[in-house]
Amino acid sequence: MLEIVKEIKAILRQHELLKQMINREIKARYKQSILGYFWVILNPLFQMLVMSFAFSIIMRVPTKAANNIPYSIFLYVALLPWNLFSNSLTSACSALVNNASLITKIYFPRTILVIATIIAKIVDFLFASIILIIFMIIYHLSININIVWIIPIFLIQQIFTLGLALIVSAANLLYRDIQYLLGLILLLWMYLTPVIYPVDLVPEKFRFIFQLNPMSVIINAYRQTILGGGSPNYQSLLLAFLVSLIVLFLGFVYFKWREKTFADNI
Amino acid sequence: MTPIIKFENVTKKFILQNQKTFKEFLPALFSRQKTKNNLLALSNISFTISPGESLGIIGPNGSGKSTILKLIAGVTAPTSGRVTVNGRVSPLIELGAGFHPELSGRENIYLNGAILGLSQKEIGRNFDSIVNFADLWEFIDQPIKHYSSGMYMRLAFAVAVHTNPQILIIDEILAVGDAEFQEKCFQRMEEFKRSGVTIIFVSHSLGQIENFCHRVLHVQHGQLIADGPAGEICQQYQATLT
Repeated sequence: MLEIVKEIKAILRQHELLKQMINREIKARYKQSILGYFWVILNPLFQMLVMSFAFSIIMRVPTKAANNIPYSIFLYVALLPWNLFSNSLTSACSALVNNASLITKIYFPRTILVIATIIAKIVDFLFASIILIIFMIIYHLSININIVWIIPIFLIQQIFTLGLALIVSAANLLYRDIQYLLGLILLLWMYLTPVIYPVDLVPEKFRFIFQLNPMSVIINAYRQTILGGGSPNYQSLLLAFLVSLIVLFLGFVYFKWREKTFADNI
Repeated sequence: MTPIIKFENVTKKFILQNQKTFKEFLPALFSRQKTKNNLLALSNISFTISPGESLGIIGPNGSGKSTILKLIAGVTAPTSGRVTVNGRVSPLIELGAGFHPELSGRENIYLNGAILGLSQKEIGRNFDSIVNFADLWEFIDQPIKHYSSGMYMRLAFAVAVHTNPQILIIDEILAVGDAEFQEKCFQRMEEFKRSGVTIIFVSHSLGQIENFCHRVLHVQHGQLIADGPAGEICQQYQATLT
């Protein structure tokens, strides 16, 4: 616990470095491309269009439970946070390895590297959300006060993401297999999370899997509050919050334990 | 005077994993091959450095020089013994660590400055002076991937010398740039020295070491062979080489 406070203090002391790292992450990515940062919006948009075609016109996933909301929006509300989660983990996974030259030379809180990549992805996410807002206006979808729930839901998601990111980034330093394994896990994980289908299609006897999967609870909660206009299932959300906290704690402990040998193993 | 850097019986062992991937690791584990190798980088080294000293470290490749620097910079921990450092360390090891090729010179100055512990304000204040030092006004808004290696090093060095260190670590970097720029670097280092900065200087050029440092450590195979006045130790070292 004391270690966590110490780390937060160290990061705050070096907030300028964190800022520069985020800056680097965002600015450098789409340099030398014509559309540049616009890719951040185009990417999920096309993903959504193609998946909508596949799952609403060919496969016909029934979404009538969600008050006649077009499938594309039903999908996009879940796809955005899922992409945020998946992209954050993928880029955090190589955050340490890509900065080997820094890690072996200069001391600064290593968690900054992981946090910077996640924050950069959050910025992407915010831009990609513009499309959702536009679609909701076009389809005259109204929201109500329950929309404020997305703030705690989002925070829970970030706690969970950071915890996992700390684990995969540190583990990837030891064995590069982690990054390939992660790609596979994320792919399978998406199908076990109600991104492309509504959770009520899941047979009762398998529901427990979804209860234990924080991403499933989080994605479902986004949908309930943004599209359903209701409040999320408090009990599930609380459970997801607790699981996320535990994951973050374990992630931090593991990261700190490995940190001493980062420079030797890289 | 209390020492600014203190090494007490410092030993550093590296555990080298023979198998880099899990695919290699698993069969090795079952066939009882050795999966780990120990490498003794430093064995039982003790010395102290007082504030304001300029110390050279010499020795052949792989003798443990860089490991000493890493321990001082705090990026790695000793296997046993204790390293105490009482001051802000600014490493000039492998210049431009953290430079991003796609970013412009200007953006990289801010990035690298932050890595070296400067605030945005401090960099802003020193910005002109940094670019003047590097003599790169013409190219400052170009992505640095278009820089020549000399320009790259000039920019990196310029940022590094505008930090405000208490301990300056210099590792084999003065071999870059043309004679004129090298001269400028040495002048700046002399200024640092005069203002009481502790300097630790690693180089293969005995001439540079003798000129710049007053005290020298000679390391070989991870052991401290000699510690004394620069001229004397350099001469002894020269003798072992021939």
